[in-house]
Amino acid sequence: MLATFKRHWWSYLAMAAFLLFLILLPTQLLGEKTSILILIGLYSMVTVGLCLLMGYTGQVSLGQAAFFGTGAYLSAILSTRYDLDPWLAMLMAAVATGVFAYIIGYPIFRLRGNYLAMATLGLGIIVWILFKELSQYTGGPDGLGGIPNFSIGGFAFDNKLKRYFLIWSFAVCALLIAQNVVRSRTGRALKAIHGSEAAAMSVGINIAQLKVKIFVLGAVYASLAGSLYAHHLHHISPNSFDFMASVMVITMAAAGGLASIWGAVFGAATITYISQDALVELGKSQPKLAELDVVLYGLILMLVMIFLPKGLFVSLRDAFDSWRQRRARKGPVT
Amino acid sequence: MTTEVFVQSLVSGLTQGCIYALIGLGFTIIFSVTGIINFAQGEFVMLGGMLSFFLAKSAGLSVFPALIISILIAMLIGAVLYLLAIRTARRASVVSLIIITIGAAIFIRGIAGELWGADTVAPPFFTGNGSLSVLGASIHVQALWIIGTTLAVSIVLHLLFSYTVIGKALKASAMNRTAAGLVGVNTKSMSLIAFTVAAALGALGGVVIAPLSLTSYNVGAMLGLKGFVAASIGGFRSHAVTILGGITLGVVEQVTVALNWGPFKSNYKEAIALVVLLLVLLIRSRRLFEEERAS
Amino acid sequence: MSSSILETKVLSKAFGGLTAVDKVDLSVEANKITSVIGPNGAGKTTLFNLIAGVYMPSGGEICFQGKPLGKAPPHKRAALGIARTFQNVLLFDNMTALENVMTGQHPRSRYGFFEAALRLPKAHREEETISLKARQYLNLVGLGVYADRNPLSLPLGQQKLLTIARALATEPRLLLLDEPGAGLNVLEKQGLSELIRRIREMGITVVLVEHDMDLVMGIAEWVIVLDSGQKIAEGTASQIQKNKRVIAAYLGDEEAIE
Repeated sequence: MLATFKRHWWSYLAMAAFLLFLILLPTQLLGEKTSILILIGLYSMVTVGLCLLMGYTGQVSLGQAAFFGTGAYLSAILSTRYDLDPWLAMLMAAVATGVFAYIIGYPIFRLRGNYLAMATLGLGIIVWILFKELSQYTGGPDGLGGIPNFSIGGFAFDNKLKRYFLIWSFAVCALLIAQNVVRSRTGRALKAIHGSEAAAMSVGINIAQLKVKIFVLGAVYASLAGSLYAHHLHHISPNSFDFMASVMVITMAAAGGLASIWGAVFGAATITYISQDALVELGKSQPKLAELDVVLYGLILMLVMIFLPKGLFVSLRDAFDSWRQRRARKGPVT
Repeated sequence: MTTEVFVQSLVSGLTQGCIYALIGLGFTIIFSVTGIINFAQGEFVMLGGMLSFFLAKSAGLSVFPALIISILIAMLIGAVLYLLAIRTARRASVVSLIIITIGAAIFIRGIAGELWGADTVAPPFFTGNGSLSVLGASIHVQALWIIGTTLAVSIVLHLLFSYTVIGKALKASAMNRTAAGLVGVNTKSMSLIAFTVAAALGALGGVVIAPLSLTSYNVGAMLGLKGFVAASIGGFRSHAVTILGGITLGVVEQVTVALNWGPFKSNYKEAIALVVLLLVLLIRSRRLFEEERAS
Repeated sequence: MSSSILETKVLSKAFGGLTAVDKVDLSVEANKITSVIGPNGAGKTTLFNLIAGVYMPSGGEICFQGKPLGKAPPHKRAALGIARTFQNVLLFDNMTALENVMTGQHPRSRYGFFEAALRLPKAHREEETISLKARQYLNLVGLGVYADRNPLSLPLGQQKLLTIARALATEPRLLLLDEPGAGLNVLEKQGLSELIRRIREMGITVVLVEHDMDLVMGIAEWVIVLDSGQKIAEGTASQIQKNKRVIAAYLGDEEAIE
């Protein structure tokens, strides 16, 4: 244990600093922007699963928003229509989403590259259509409202600050778990798949099974985030879970860095800030530019993938690492 | 369902299906020559329709000049897309390329939305607003244009690929890039040509159907998806099967909507294409997988 | 055969119209070093891919330790004890040399997602073991000092040794080496021969596909010759060297014509 601590000491420090930052952020610094911070936490959870999938298995899922949506809708329906406790609803939604991802995972991952991307795109749209059409359960295009807050005992998460801490607790746990997985035998196997599938198979790695596992992990994360989202906004509609939502998540992953967990947070933060804050401000002063987020996503996707295919965050980190190495090589001056 | 309704849906299906076929051909040509799936293909259809509307309206051009200029502009954009986005990315991974073309697609869509707003528009019909009556169903004159254009395009493509030097070079690049390069085919130019031709096909489809089915800045996504379905039925290789696939998809959609049976209300029309897509992918996945392993 | 670890019966593989492996019967004796040779296109790598599970036979079957392998996929065969290296190396360039070898321990370790996610002690213990064993195999092939290097920074000869270490880490009974000597210089080939002998002493059966006749004749205890997908001869190294059919296959049937 001590050895691991020594090896990763700087990351523990960074982690502590990050937690401190998170705690101080809404209380001392950006109080009015708590909504945005909440969204960043949620989208970090949705994106990290995608990052792992795309970064390590090299496969694209264009339907991540579907899992975000099933988590939101299932939790909402179970807690409104069937009066279940929100915690139970969230758990059941996560299990259901996980099982769903598992069932479609195996047949889908028999496909490769473009075909897989299209299949996930198709699935995402089908799920979105179901959200719109099964109005008996989902409230149709207008969505579902009256979703209750989470509560423990008598303590209800009834304001933004409380929900901020709740959501970020989940997000941090999710990120830490993802990090643990990456640093383990499973993470090595994932990297092996990314390096060479043929060689990975030759050392006993069951590629299909691992791809599905990561897919399911991402789906469960997205589902949990979706449930938290629903119980935060108290009202959800299909618009939040359409193809553009999946594109937004992909943009976050691309901006962050496809194989990086903290890159996912960076990407989520950047894109959420742009779409929720920067563009809104811009839209207020120049109304015509309000719809600019679509153009911007497209531009970011293209530019990042063409020039910094490892993602913004990872590229910056790599640049920092090689700068450090160059300094170290110069060594002490004798 | 009466015969009339059935025939009517066949006709509508054929019309819609022709568009899917044209888009599918665009996918197929680009994929077979470059190995890339161009997620922006649907946007060229949108551009065709939107450009022809605005050229006719604001520049006061008559139908056919507007048509030609729209297609030329779309081809230019296709070429630019290839040169700036694809070729610059060099040896990008499949994931990167997919994301790049998606980025291009929504970029184009976003700009279109900014330029032209969110309204649904319809360019003027080619030869007026009449219809013919066939077997109790009515076919709009524009639909005849659509079917005729698709037929003409298929023939021209066939002739191009079989008898001209460029066509044969494209075919060679499609079959085996390395070998084609070795016998002197400039594969980079072939890729550029593939993108330009695909853009032209998409735009042509858009131009010819927009008067009939209206168009707006965001029609590209679903149309592109359906064209992809057609192309995947054709295995991204066979032009003939792609065309057949597109038409079949169109017909299945319209007939299912006309049936209006049970839970499958017309709102699920969009889902049909997706279900077909998933089926095709699943059925073909065995073969795709085997091919990958063998190579 | 007394103790054959691997047997193929009427094994065939056809790709469309091309028959790459044609009704091959062979038997590999346990704990021996066997070499498969033959002119280019004889089907040697296809044979390896069939044994490793990358290809499924079009006909016939393969038995490992007396049991048919059937349709077992490559990762299952690794768990059963069949390890292999590749002609084109195929190292994982996104991790260090040590980590490459550690991936080899994948089928010999148990802890999964759950234990990893929550950092349970079981995970820690197994990681220690994996790391230790990987270092041992790395030292065995003589690359201990390069544990933390990126494999791409190593010259080809050492990269190939690394893949052998990785394959050994799976603790196999049977090791398939696909052209291990290709691209190596004389000194490296000597080291390779020594290594293969040491592997055999560890109780592992080695089968190698190789073009370098000196290498083959130096270490192989049994030689199987393929030509155009068929087995045309087998025997000891000296027997094979004198076999007319073998010579003809390599020289292109000159003698047969005369």
